[in-house]
Amino acid sequence: MDAVVVADGLEKRYGDTVALGGVSLAVEPGEVFGLIGPNGAGKTTLVRALTGTTVPDVGSASILGSEPTAVDRDRLGVLPQRFSPPERLTAAELIDYYAGLYGDAREPGEVIADVGVAGAADTRYEDLSGGQKRRVCVGTALVNDPDVLFLDEPTTGIDPAGRRTVWRLIEALAEGGTTVFLTTHDMAEAERLADRVGLLADGKLVAAGTPGELIAEHGGPNRLTVETDAEPGRLEGVSYPVEGRDGGLVVEGVEPAEIGDVVATLEKREVPYTGLTWTEPDLEDVYLELADGAERLRTLRGGGPPPGGEDAVEPTADGGETTPDGGER
Amino acid sequence: MSRAGRLRAQVGADWHSFLRRRTAVFFTFLFPIILILIFGALVGTDPSGGALFGEPPGYYVAGYLAAVVVFTPLSRIGSEVARHREGSRFEKLATTPLSRTEWLVAQTVVNAAVIGVAGLLILALVVALTGATVIPNPLVVAYVAVAVVCFCGVGAVLGSYTDSRDGAVAASNTIALPLLFLSDTFLTLEQLPGWFAPFVELSPLTYFARGVRAASYPDAQVSAVAGVDPAVANLVILAVLAVPAFVVGARSIPETD
Repeated sequence: MDAVVVADGLEKRYGDTVALGGVSLAVEPGEVFGLIGPNGAGKTTLVRALTGTTVPDVGSASILGSEPTAVDRDRLGVLPQRFSPPERLTAAELIDYYAGLYGDAREPGEVIADVGVAGAADTRYEDLSGGQKRRVCVGTALVNDPDVLFLDEPTTGIDPAGRRTVWRLIEALAEGGTTVFLTTHDMAEAERLADRVGLLADGKLVAAGTPGELIAEHGGPNRLTVETDAEPGRLEGVSYPVEGRDGGLVVEGVEPAEIGDVVATLEKREVPYTGLTWTEPDLEDVYLELADGAERLRTLRGGGPPPGGEDAVEPTADGGETTPDGGER
Repeated sequence: MSRAGRLRAQVGADWHSFLRRRTAVFFTFLFPIILILIFGALVGTDPSGGALFGEPPGYYVAGYLAAVVVFTPLSRIGSEVARHREGSRFEKLATTPLSRTEWLVAQTVVNAAVIGVAGLLILALVVALTGATVIPNPLVVAYVAVAVVCFCGVGAVLGSYTDSRDGAVAASNTIALPLLFLSDTFLTLEQLPGWFAPFVELSPLTYFARGVRAASYPDAQVSAVAGVDPAVANLVILAVLAVPAFVVGARSIPETD
């Protein structure tokens, strides 16, 4: 089956800054693809290149087999990262407005209910809470019942309950066959929603796969954290690597059945401890392993985050560059 | 949704947004009132001892309308474009079926409605306060509509190439104020130094002022253009200038960031 979203060697520079350094990926029909990466990694620039709102210097992109600017826009839903709709309209009026731009839009009242702001439907956007605002923005991307949906950090600023509402909504859309391209800083969100996850660092896709594959390959071993003031040397000779960090001792590679062995060793050597925590590696470990390395390298090189503080650099009319928060560089 | 449906949605959103900015509504309609109070007081008093403001009140109706027709779209569209850029609204709209031209058409419709109301207010105030004689002429409506198209295009260019709302408003004032006085509105060509003449002839507002004056002021002595009635000829010239201004304005609205 043909991929719905394709990036082929996308490169984008802003002056000396490389926002995208040759990104290639393909998203299959009905797939939820999660893009993670540190601030300034190029996530928003990639979304823009894929949706035709920025023009790559090199490479090409396609959606539903067409160039991004030529795709049938009735089939496309997009939530830009910093999107702020007309603030004097109510939530219901905003959804109604965006519905009016499409050929065959959903019933606005349904969309309002789906994003969980039915109780604030008649409240002006400017008077909504931050989380409600973002949910209305998510609603504007869903209003045309798109076949392909791009969500650039959809749950930023939304409280945990609201976040779960949006998650359930995305899951329902995916079950209905919608292809979703999602960027997020929330690893739990990516792990829960995404069929595959791509990790972007310094404009390059450094890893991609299912969350399970990425965790198995880059997540590291299971860890048993012993809350203690003792030095790692107190566990010398045990058959697991031991490090002193996170306010205690971290014993790596311990399977659940082996926890008792470690506890027995602690008791035998009279190591005082106040608690034990066993954890499996997750997507956050993958992120820290791959993205943190890039961040450390960047710090060592003495550079700040690449383009845009967050995820993009925006050229200004006078040829300068603007960060997403409106500052200029 | 058809083009008409998209336009209806955009016009509705823009109209409601405008009406709910109370200060914008207040000052949009206060502006013509202040204009007439000040200029109405000057007209006929001959404060300079020369020929400034020495014409009858009806002569200046074209100037009052010109002021609203140039200032309102330039500042409103300029700041609206900047506001859309700041909120990534163009980025969003670029992924919907609404085109840049349709967006600007919708803005133009709203501005035409706002300026139409302001224009009626001006005419009523001028007649009531100064006793001016104004001939009702449908051509004046056409002049206002075409001029709004023209200056909405210019406003879109300003909003697209300035980097903030403040910048857009400052740029629009910088352009509108000299334009207002170099367009045969309150000052005639004879009252200006000769080297201003080319600027006067290049200004779209000149043709608006001359045409409106020819159409609405019974004692107007506006020259025919190539033998054609000035009330019609100036409208044609204004339309010829409005088309490229609108097209350039629509093309300058950013689809990509």
